[in-house]
Amino acid sequence: MLKFILKRLAFLPFVLFGVTALLFSCLQFLSPEMRAALYVKDPRQLSQLDAVIEKYGLRKPLPVQYGIWLKQVAHGDLGYSETAKMPVADAIRSFFPATFELTLVTFFPIMIVGVFFGVLSAVYRDKFIDHLTRFVAITGYSLPSFVLGLGLLMVFYGRLHWFPPGRYTLDTDMLVHSDAFRHWTGLLTLDCLLNRQWAAALDVAEHMVLPAATLLYISVALLLRITRSSMLEELTKDYVRTARAKGLPERVIIRKHALANALIPVVTLSSLLFIGLLGGVVITETVFDFPGIGRWGVQAAQQLDIPGVLGSTMLAAFLFVTANLISDILYAVVDPRIRVGN
Amino acid sequence: MIKKIAALALALAAATAPAAPAAAAAKNPDTFVYATIGDPESFDPAWAYDTASQSVIANVYEYLLAFKGSGVKPKDLKPLLATAVPTPANGLISPDGRTYRFKIRKGVKFQDGSPLTPDDVRYSLLRFMLFDRDGGPSSLLLEPVVGQASTRKDGKTIPGIGEKAFAAVAVKGDEVVVKLAKPFAPFLTIVASFAPAMSRRWCAAHGQWDGELATWEKFSNPRLEQSLPKTLMNGTGPFQLERFEPTTKEVVLTRFDGYWRKPAALKNVVIKVVDEFETRKLMIQAGDADVIYVPQMYRPQVSGLAGVQVLDGLQDLERSLLLNFTFHINGAGNSNIGSGKLDGDGVPPDFFNDKDVRKAFAYSIDYQGYIKDILRGTGTQSAGLIPPGLIGYKAGSPRYRFDPAKAAEHFKKAWGGKVWEKGFKLALVFNAGSAPAQTLCQMLKKNIEKLNPKFQLDIRVVQWSTYLEQTRQRKMPIQLGAWQADYPDPHNFVFPLLDSAGYFPTQQGYSNPELDKLIEQAVRTLDEHKRAALYAKIQKIADEDVPVVPIADGPRYRVQRSWVKGFVFNPTFPDAPYSSYYYDIHKE
Repeated sequence: MLKFILKRLAFLPFVLFGVTALLFSCLQFLSPEMRAALYVKDPRQLSQLDAVIEKYGLRKPLPVQYGIWLKQVAHGDLGYSETAKMPVADAIRSFFPATFELTLVTFFPIMIVGVFFGVLSAVYRDKFIDHLTRFVAITGYSLPSFVLGLGLLMVFYGRLHWFPPGRYTLDTDMLVHSDAFRHWTGLLTLDCLLNRQWAAALDVAEHMVLPAATLLYISVALLLRITRSSMLEELTKDYVRTARAKGLPERVIIRKHALANALIPVVTLSSLLFIGLLGGVVITETVFDFPGIGRWGVQAAQQLDIPGVLGSTMLAAFLFVTANLISDILYAVVDPRIRVGN
Repeated sequence: MIKKIAALALALAAATAPAAPAAAAAKNPDTFVYATIGDPESFDPAWAYDTASQSVIANVYEYLLAFKGSGVKPKDLKPLLATAVPTPANGLISPDGRTYRFKIRKGVKFQDGSPLTPDDVRYSLLRFMLFDRDGGPSSLLLEPVVGQASTRKDGKTIPGIGEKAFAAVAVKGDEVVVKLAKPFAPFLTIVASFAPAMSRRWCAAHGQWDGELATWEKFSNPRLEQSLPKTLMNGTGPFQLERFEPTTKEVVLTRFDGYWRKPAALKNVVIKVVDEFETRKLMIQAGDADVIYVPQMYRPQVSGLAGVQVLDGLQDLERSLLLNFTFHINGAGNSNIGSGKLDGDGVPPDFFNDKDVRKAFAYSIDYQGYIKDILRGTGTQSAGLIPPGLIGYKAGSPRYRFDPAKAAEHFKKAWGGKVWEKGFKLALVFNAGSAPAQTLCQMLKKNIEKLNPKFQLDIRVVQWSTYLEQTRQRKMPIQLGAWQADYPDPHNFVFPLLDSAGYFPTQQGYSNPELDKLIEQAVRTLDEHKRAALYAKIQKIADEDVPVVPIADGPRYRVQRSWVKGFVFNPTFPDAPYSSYYYDIHKE
C-alpha cells in the first residue's frame, strides 16, 4: 500500500508541471503588457510596465519565461489581483477559508444523504422512496442554483427572517475583527468555538445554512443516482445471490458486501464533488453574498484580471490533482485489486 | 417543530404574495446599514472625487461650513468648523469680494485626540489644492484661490504656483484668511463640501506632505498608492473609521464619542456592497438594511413592501448618465481595445479622435428605449449638459436621436472608410450592479453590431473602484458616468465635463481650446443673460464636437425603512439621496 501511495505521490509533480505549463502557454495569447501583472506584488510596479517586461523576460522564448514564472510561483508570488486589490496569494488566503468552511459543512451532509438514500432507493426499487429520490435527483439536477438560491432566500430570509445572506451579522463582524479574537484555523465557526464565542459560532453557522442547503440539493442528485445504479448492479451479481442462498440476512448482504463494492464509483464522484465545491461555487456565493473564492474567481474572469484568473485556476487544478490522488488511495483501500494491479 | 413547519408553509404561501404595510420596531436601533453597489476608491479627501468615497469622507471629516437642510445656495450655509459664515455684512468678506476670513472653532478634536488648530485648516486647504492629482477635485479650489485650474501645464509644474497658493491662505490668530485670485461667488459652497480639516501632524506622521513650501512638489499629482490608504482616516467628524474590509469592500464607521457636538445617535454605520438587487431587496425587507440602492427599473418591486418607504420627488442637480469617449486610450496591456489596431480585431488608441465615430455612436443610442426600459417611461432625454434649475439649462430638443441610418453614414465616413471596411472590436465596460449602465451597453452592442457584421462590442463588468482606476488610466474606450453637482452652478457641469483640465476630459484626453476659453469667460461673467448665452454656445459646440453624450435623466427617490428618521435630502451631498449625513439620522 505504501509503495502504491509513493508511486502516486511521485507522479504528482509531473501532473502539476503539465497543468502549469498548459495554463502558462495559454497566456501567451496575451500581450507582454497584459501578462506583466503576473509578476508584480505591488500595483505601483504596473506603472513601469517596460521595466517589468524587461526584468521578467516577457519577450523571451516561452521556456525561458516559464522558468522565470515558475521560480516566482515557487516563492509564492502569483502576481497582483486588480479585482481583489491585493496580491493573488493574499487573495487566496483571504477568500479560500470561507469556501473551505462552506465545503466542509456541505460535503458531509451530501455524502450521508446521497449514499443513504441512494442505497435505499436501490433496495426499495420502484417503491415510494425510490420515486421520491428520483424526483429529488431530477429537480436538483435540472434546477439552476440561482433559482433555488433566490427561492430559499425569499422564503427563509425575506419572509421568515431565519437565515440571512452574507458571512455574519455586525456583532460577529465586530467580534472577529477585534484584537481579542484569535484566528486559530481560519474556519470561522471553529474559531468562534475555540474563542468560546457560542453566539458568534451560531451566527456564522446560520449564515451557512442556505448556501449549504442550495449546494446540498443541487449536488446530491448525481450522487443519489450513481449510488443507486451502482448498488443495483451489485445486488444482481452472483456473490449477492450466493450470500442470499446461504441464508445471510439482507441487511448484512447490503451493508457488508454490496455496499462496499458499490462505493467504488461513489468514491471517485465524491472527490470530484469535493473539489467542485472547494474550487468555488460561483453562483451560490454570489446569490448569498458569501465572500468565497468562487465569487472572486468569477469577478476576476469578468474583469480580465489575468493574475486572479490564473491564481484561482491554479488553485482549482492543484486541488483537483490532490483530490484525485486521495481518491486513488481511497480506491485502493476500498478495492485491494487496484493496488495489486499496480 | 410543528410551529416551524407551519411558519414555513405560511412563508411559502406568502413568498409570492404582495406584502401589506406594517409598522415594526427598529431592528438594531443603533446601527445603520446602507446596501449599495459601488465600493469606495479612496478615503483621502484630496484624492477622492467619486460619490462612494466622498459620502464616507463627509461623515468622518468636517468642512468649514455646512448646508442647512436642503439648501444649496450661499445663503443656506451654516458654520461648522468655522464659527461664522463669512458675509460682507459681518465683515468676514472684504468689500472687493476677494478676502474671506474664517474664525476656527475651539475645542474641536481629531479622532486621534489631538486638537484642531487654524494651522491644520490652512494645511488642509493647501494640501487639497497642491495635491492636484490628474482628474482630482483640486481644481475646485485652485480655480478661485490661485486663478488656475491646475498646478501643471503640459505636464510641468507652473513656476511659482506653490508660492501663490501659500500667499493666498494664511493664519492670523484664530482665523484662516483666504484671498481669492478673483471674486468667485460659489467659493463658500465649495468649502462646505470639499477640503475638510485634516491634522497636519498626523498626515506627516503617515508619510504625507508636511505642509512646507519646499516639499509640496514631491507630493503633487501622486498615484493612488501614494495617497492615504483606505485603512487610515482621522477627522473631526461624528463618525470614525472602524474598518474597511478589502474582501467584501464593506465600510464600518463607529460613533466618535469625543465629537465636539453631541455624539451621534447611531453607534455604527455599515456600508455594504451588494451587487445583487434581489439580495438588497431582501435585506431591506428583513430590516437588515436601512437604505438600499434601487435603480428605476426595479422601483416597482419595492413599492408597497412592508415597513419600507419610498421618498419621492427629490429634485437633484445631476446628469445621471453620460457617455464619454476616450480620445487617447492607454493601449499598454489594455484588452479593452483588442489588437490596438484598426484591423477588425481591435481599435487604435485614438479611435474616438474621429468625430464621425463619436457621432455614429451618438446616433446608435436608443434614447427612448432606455427611457422606456430603464427609467420605466419616467425620464426624459437630456438636451444639454446643464441640469434644470441652473443658468444655461437647455430645454429644447436634443441634438441626437436614435437613427441607425445616420449612424451607418458616419461609420462609413469614419477613418476614411476603413472602419466600415475592416470593422472593429472594443469592450464596453460597466460597473458591477449598475443595471442602467449594463442595459445601455447591451443596447449599444445590439444596435451597433446590427449595422455591420464586422462590428463587435464585448460587454465587461468591473467593480466600481476598478472602473475608476481604469478610467483614470484611460483604459476605458467609453466611460459611462454621471455628474452630481459639487456646488449649484453651471460652471460645475461644463468645467468637469468639457474643460481640458476638468474631471472627465483629463481622463478622456480631450481638449478643445475654444471651449476652455468660453468656459473661463462664462465663469467670470456676472450678467446672467450674457452668461446664459455663453453656456448655450458652449453646449452647441459640445453637441457638434460630441466628446460626451448625455443620455437621459429620471426622477430621484430614496428607498428606506420607515423607522429611519431625520434624513434630510441635500442634492450636493455625495451619493444623495441614497447616502446620508448619518449624524442627522436615528432609528425609532
